[in-house]
Amino acid sequence: MGPARPTERIVVVGASLAGVTLADAVRRQGFTGSLTLVGAEPRAAYNRPALSKGVLDGTATDADITLPPLTCDVDEIVGTAAAGLDVDRREVVLEDGRRIPYDRLAVTTGARARRLADLGAADPGVHETVFRDLDDARHLAAALRGRPKVVIVGAGILGMELASVCAASGAAVVVVDRQPPLLAQLGRYLSDLLADAASAHGVELVHDPAGVRLRGTGTPVVELAGGGRIEGDLVLSAVGCAPNVGWLARTGLLTDGGLRVDARCRAAPGVVAAGDVAAFPVPGGGHRRTPSWNSALEQGRAAARTLVDGDDAPALVPSPYFWTEQFGLTVRICGELPARGTPALLRGGPPSDGALLRWSDAGGGATAAAVNTRMPIARLRALTRPEPVPLEVQR
Amino acid sequence: MKLSIDRERCEGYGLCAESAPELMHLDDEGELVLDHDEVPPSAGPAAESAVRVCPVAALKVG
Repeated sequence: MGPARPTERIVVVGASLAGVTLADAVRRQGFTGSLTLVGAEPRAAYNRPALSKGVLDGTATDADITLPPLTCDVDEIVGTAAAGLDVDRREVVLEDGRRIPYDRLAVTTGARARRLADLGAADPGVHETVFRDLDDARHLAAALRGRPKVVIVGAGILGMELASVCAASGAAVVVVDRQPPLLAQLGRYLSDLLADAASAHGVELVHDPAGVRLRGTGTPVVELAGGGRIEGDLVLSAVGCAPNVGWLARTGLLTDGGLRVDARCRAAPGVVAAGDVAAFPVPGGGHRRTPSWNSALEQGRAAARTLVDGDDAPALVPSPYFWTEQFGLTVRICGELPARGTPALLRGGPPSDGALLRWSDAGGGATAAAVNTRMPIARLRALTRPEPVPLEVQR
Repeated sequence: MKLSIDRERCEGYGLCAESAPELMHLDDEGELVLDHDEVPPSAGPAAESAVRVCPVAALKVG
């Protein structure tokens, strides 16, 4: 596609971090045509990573997590989801029947919590609780006041962050997964570090390689495939997310139920996608969704450049950045994950007192992690480059 | 109009400095440096957009 003309209409569907970033960036790129942002949630966009941290433990108010409002010229349609897309007429069909015409479209509809029921691992009639949006965070925060016994299925990032806040609130917490916590996401070293911290905080970690099933009706009982049952007052599923692409069914945009983009975030001529919904090219082939805050930000900006400049826009070279806060440890990571093998300790000692870790990869680059250490991202990222580590970081 | 940084929150993303290079920059350590105590009126929109793009809300204008 060529550069956007001022007479063109850009419609952005999805108004969380990726969509808001994209809309803002489109204007900052100098686009002067019509710009519409459609959002399903009935409130201003907010910082989702804070939900399982400050919002849940009560240290962050709504004002703290609300993204600054867009000040550019944009027509915002809030609280209305897109129900479909008419690619022939180039119209977004809203759930209330309205049709929004577009010349160029950005898909930033994000993802929803995956449920065990979606995976065929829940009895019909089970009331399954997930954690994805502000309402979910408020409900859980309220439930924690009763000091419940909490069972969390899924020991990924979200499951472990929830476990941390639940344990700190005085709840008894069990986390169940097929494998050790965070092993698939972060690699063995950080998995061990965070699992040890979780155990030290009284969280019980259970794994069953064959998985679990939610049994019963109402609040479920977690049944381990290998035998054994875990009961709780509150059972939470934290088993990943699924892209919000139902509204794109029968448009020809989907491949195997996913929305694939290229390195310029193009899904089709005149259509870009960014954030949790988008399956981005993986080095070595294939596509993968990278549902993280940093990806939403960088893909949102890249997709905006593509919408405005067309095929002349630069390809996005991702700079992976990730952080988590759990069990008294704040871990910030630049580079590819999971990190394999044993890291070099650039700054050692007990991690809770601050540590700096570096895993060299075969390609000469590295993954770097700062634990309980404040460090500007540029310095952490510098540690992911092949050249020898400058001495000053080892102070 | 004044800009201020919450050092505890700032992680040095640098998006603000990209938005308003006339007002701030990242130093060699990746730390944000504000180049003006007082934002000139002409740079008001740039200051506001810098605040807007800060992913961790570390920058305030007032």
